[in-house]
Amino acid sequence: MYNSHYKHLSEKWRKKHQELQKQLWGRHKSSLEWLSRNSRQLVAGSLGGLMLLSNQNVNLSSLPQAVSAKEAPQAIDKKTFLISDLEGVLPKEVRALTGEEEQKVSEILSRSFGLRASAELQGKRLNRSYGFIGQEQHLTRYPGDTMSTHFDSEDEVKKYWDQGMAPGRGAWGYFAHSKESLTEEDKLREKYYIAVQTFLAPGFMDHVKEYVDFFKYRKMLIVNPSNGMSMIVDIADAGPAEWTGKHLGGSPEVMKYLERVDGAWKGPVLYFFIDDPNDTIPLGPIKPV
Amino acid sequence: MIKKHFYTHIIDTSTLSLELGEMDMASDERLHLLSLVESNIHQTILDLVLSELSEKDKRTFLMHVASSSHDKIWKFLKVKTKNIEEKIKKAADDLKKELHKDINEARLLSHK
Repeated sequence: MYNSHYKHLSEKWRKKHQELQKQLWGRHKSSLEWLSRNSRQLVAGSLGGLMLLSNQNVNLSSLPQAVSAKEAPQAIDKKTFLISDLEGVLPKEVRALTGEEEQKVSEILSRSFGLRASAELQGKRLNRSYGFIGQEQHLTRYPGDTMSTHFDSEDEVKKYWDQGMAPGRGAWGYFAHSKESLTEEDKLREKYYIAVQTFLAPGFMDHVKEYVDFFKYRKMLIVNPSNGMSMIVDIADAGPAEWTGKHLGGSPEVMKYLERVDGAWKGPVLYFFIDDPNDTIPLGPIKPV
Repeated sequence: MIKKHFYTHIIDTSTLSLELGEMDMASDERLHLLSLVESNIHQTILDLVLSELSEKDKRTFLMHVASSSHDKIWKFLKVKTKNIEEKIKKAADDLKKELHKDINEARLLSHK
């Protein structure tokens, strides 16, 4: 049952939206179509560029009321604005961001997710905060953990079996001493892990232990700027090697969620530290607030 | 405003937010109405600005909008148009008046 104020206004303003849209496209069709053909956002298939074209793709009147009220502002607006905002800051080529660019991205991410995200935390930073991500394998969580013991459900097996298990352990060793002592937190740390080039971090070679301690299971926000898919992940391995041309790696679960793949179709992600001193931000998918 | 647009700093929609805030509706419903306000203002202003520009200049303007280059937009509009800031404010004010009228109408309907 819809509230009468809301019902009246949403109907009226949706109608106005359609009229304005029709007027805009009627008067400036050729220019807007030209932008459609030339905008990188549209080529990438993101919703961000479409939103900039006056929501011409969002036919609000065709949405069921329950959807338009509850999902449209959250599922469409917030993620598309994130994509659009990042598009305005990120360079066309995938390279290390400048300090100014990192600051702008930091502001966008912090604002979008309601947390503090930064390229540098406690005076430490990685070699970069924007780079190509490659596919990693599952990590052995405890002595005796194998592909047959690794998953909690058939669904997980179907989705994540193919990537297999890394032959060695992660950079910090096992996540738990035994199957019995494996906690939910340990599981999540392996499931949502990334491997970063800790060994290339400025200052790493001068203060190895201090840096290793800092990076161990350090939480980061990782974002695919092309589609806005984002996750809170943790650093649980070091790599990849410089010669690979990749800058970080993601667990099978991370890669699938971000919709990133390895090889010729590899793509970039943003990875920024989050300031979470009380450990209140959970690992896993996160959406703009 | 949900998103920062090039005109955000000269348009105040807080009166609409406040009025909607006082009405009896769920927060997601209010959020949806605010997104419609934003969208309607956005289309009105794009239409206004584009109507002031030549075909060639429309493309330059739209590319700046697509890349959220707010400084470039204003530099460009100051060269290519006259009194655009005042015109944008007026167009937004006219639309806001209409939206306020709609809100009052909705209130009256619920009292019948």
